[in-house]
Formats: sequence, C-alpha cells, structure tokens
Amino acid sequence: MTRRRLPTGALAATACLLFALPLAVLALQAFADEWRFPSVLPQRLGLRGLHGALASGAGGAAFANSAEVAVATTALALLLGWPAARALGERRLRRPEPLLLLIALPLLVPSYATGTGLTTWFLRLGLTDSRAGLVLAHLTVVLPYVTLLLLPAFGPRLRELEEMAKTAGAGPARRLIQVSIPAARASIATAALIGALVSWSQYGISLAIGGGLPTLPIIMLPFVRSDPEVAAAMALFFLAPAVVALAAAGRAGRER
Amino acid sequence: MTPRERLVTVALIAPATLVLLLLFAGGLVGAVLQSLRPGLGGQISGSAWRTLVDDPGFRAALWFSTRIALEATALSALVATVAALALRGRGTLPRTLFALPVPVPHLLVATVAVFWLAPGGLADRLAGALPISLVRDPAGVGIVLVYVYKEAPFLALLLLSALGRRLREREEAAAVHGADWLQLLRWVVCPAIRRPLAAGCLIVGAFAFGSFEVPLLVGPTYPPTVATYALQATQTDLIQGQPLAAAALLVAAAASLLIATAVIGIARGLGD
Repeated sequence: MTRRRLPTGALAATACLLFALPLAVLALQAFADEWRFPSVLPQRLGLRGLHGALASGAGGAAFANSAEVAVATTALALLLGWPAARALGERRLRRPEPLLLLIALPLLVPSYATGTGLTTWFLRLGLTDSRAGLVLAHLTVVLPYVTLLLLPAFGPRLRELEEMAKTAGAGPARRLIQVSIPAARASIATAALIGALVSWSQYGISLAIGGGLPTLPIIMLPFVRSDPEVAAAMALFFLAPAVVALAAAGRAGRER
Repeated sequence: MTPRERLVTVALIAPATLVLLLLFAGGLVGAVLQSLRPGLGGQISGSAWRTLVDDPGFRAALWFSTRIALEATALSALVATVAALALRGRGTLPRTLFALPVPVPHLLVATVAVFWLAPGGLADRLAGALPISLVRDPAGVGIVLVYVYKEAPFLALLLLSALGRRLREREEAAAVHGADWLQLLRWVVCPAIRRPLAAGCLIVGAFAFGSFEVPLLVGPTYPPTVATYALQATQTDLIQGQPLAAAALLVAAAASLLIATAVIGIARGLGD
C-alpha cells in the first residue's frame, strides 16, 4: 500500500486548523475595547465587554436562568429516561419501534415548531415565562437524548451484577445505589452532560415559551450586531459548558 | 413473559412515554389549534392556511430551507468522510481539535461566523476585501458554511467509531490481495460507513431544514427559512401572524418527518 496513498497527514492537519482555530476569535473580540478596521489586532484591550455582559443585569440573570433550567431539565430527564432505557436496553419490549419512534420524532421536528405549539397550553396553565414552563418545554428534546444515551448502560452485564446483589440480600434501593448507578456511571455522565448542553444551547423553544424569562442565547443574539465585544464576552460564558464537556470527553477517551 | 413481567415493563416505559406524548404530541396539536384560530377566542377558520398557500414568500422560504438542508448535508458528509479517513489511526489531540465544534451551540458558531466573515470582519482584515459576501447573502452560503463547520465534525465522529480496528484488518486482508485504495474505499470502507452516515445525515438534514438561530444571524432577510418566516409573521402582525406562523411551522414539521422517512427508506435499500 505504499503507492497511491491518500495524503492523510496534511489533510488531518488542515482539518484540525480549519475547525479549531476560528473559535479563538471569541477570546480576542471579548477583550477588544477598540478594534478599528483594517487592523488585524485590537488597538486597545480591556474589560468593557465583560462589564457590559454582566453589569446590565440581564446577562447575570440570563446566565442563572440558563444554568437552573439546564440542571433541572437534565435531572428530570435522567429520572424519566432511566426506566425507559432499561426497558429498551434489556429488550423487554416485543415491539420497541413505536417507543423508539416517539423518542426520535422530537429530535427531527424543528424545536421552534414544538415550542410554539406548546404555548397554546402553557398560556392557559400559566406556564409561559416561568422556569417550570421552560423546563417542561426543554424536556421535549432533552428526554429523547438522555434516554438514547442511557441505553448502552443496560444489558446482560448489568443484569448479572444486579442478580448477584439480589442473591447477596440487597434490597431494591440498595441495589440501585450501590450496584446499578456505579456500574452505569459512564453512560449517566455522558447523558447528563449532553442533556444539559442541549438545554443550554436551546434557542427556538426558549424564544417561543419564555420571552419574559430570558436565557443566555436569547439575550446574546441582538448583541452580535449592536455590540460585538459584549456579545463575545457573553459567548465566552455560553461556551464554558462546552469546554467542560470536551475536557471530560478527552479524559474519558484517555482512560479507555 | 409472565403477566407480572409485562406489568413491570409497562411501568418502566410509562413515565417517559406519557411525558413525551403530552409534550410532543401536545405541542403539535397546540400548533394545529393555533393555525386554525386567528386571535384569542376567534372562530375556527382556515384563513391562515389559505394565506400561507397563496404567499410566494412562503414558497420561497420552503425552497430556501430545502436547498440549505440538502447543500449543508451533502457538503458535511463529504468533509466528514475525508476527515474521518485522514484522522483515523491518529492520536487524541488531532481528533479533539477537529471535534471542537461538536459541543459548541449553533448560535455560537453563527456568532463566530459573523466575527470572521461579515464585511469588515477578521477575514476581510487578513485577506483584504473578500470577493464574495458570505454573511446575509441571498444565496445562503454563510448558513451552509456554519452548518458544515458544526456538523462535519459530528458526522466524522460517527464515522470514526465505524472505522474501528476490525475494519483495518479487513482492509489489510484486501490490500494483501492487491486492492488499491479506490477499490478499498468502494468495497471495504463504504459498506462499513453507509449506515452511520445515513443516520447522521438524517439528523443533520432535519436540523438544517428547521434551522432558526443560524439564519437569524448570518442569513438574508429575504428569502427567510421556514422557521424565520414564522418568526417574521408573528412580528409583523400580532393577531393574524400567530396562526400563520403555526401553519408554516407545521409544514416544516411535516417536511422533517418526510425527509426522515425518505432517508430511512434509502438506507434500507442500500443495505439490501
């Protein structure tokens, strides 16, 4: 295979550069107090963007809203998704297709569509512009992801461990806490991380449901044109969970 | 299965099933009701649907969304395949660098695109004036670029897990028998990556079709995508806009489901 090989080394390097480098502009733009055209580097660095992102009050509140909604949605999704993933993973259903379809559909339909439709009911229930409403609406997409990502945890291996614990006299609660959850921790971590990221990044649903309770993406978007420095500073906050996710994935990759 | 076991299974799937049915089906039913009721407490009428069908702007939006979804998916798949073939067998660092955009929210990628590609942006500063406009251009090139940047690494990750060690062994076996790289690609690599690629493309295509925050930032004002058409409708007319938006979004939902059915059908056909 020495002749006619693909030049994979150069391709790999180009791919890495093209995909990793552009993100760095955020760090520069966030601290560029003065950056006039056509200079390639900012004329003056400073903290105006950070102050603008946090001091307006909206930024800090939106950050807290986004974080609270992401955590609550993910916790709820793990709670609801765990038993469903067990039923699917242990092949307990003779026909799993309808359930799988119900899980896949919310991921394929534009989330702004589901969100807009949900407002019909949420208006009547007083759930629009509330945290509970945002959590429920985000659950429409987070629950499918979490259930699918929990699937690999279940199977004959976990079943055996649980049977052994049962023979040893452990009750259901103890089996869950001491056997099932530790054995499934990799899947739980992945599901929780991705679930939280999906909620954190959600734009369409949040715009439809929670105009009065802004999340980070909602308040960030108008700044991109009006004040790039503030937008970039917000973007750095917005990026933080993704960085955590990458670091965790990298660590898991090395441990494997 | 004993009756008791069946009961346990039902109890296991009931919570998630009920919640998803309520939220997802409830959302779609809510959208249908909205599309039929102009204003609060108004009478049921199909006027929003008639307006939608007659509006050339909506047809333009539908076509624009379809085109973006197709272009973004095809280009992402191509870049992902080349990148996956180049990256396999390499260490964690290059893979991580390439995978950087995967967890980054779409809105952030669109923001980065504006900083780089808008007139007076970083690309203009580095290269002089860009010959073409990539942000807010009526052809939607900026939108497609954002999707390729965000989704190609995602597809590549799916492909990399399919290009595992067992495939390497089969390739080596084929190479020993004198196959060159084109033959390897056609007969060994392609069959292995076809299914994950189809599944990934389905997700990317459906997502790009319903795209919302990316065209809001880097897309043109006209034509809108179906989702931004819906948003524009609610902003221009507070009373008639809501049913019109709901109707447009229902068309988008139906189209996403059609794409899904088509791709699953094609993947099945390829598998036989």
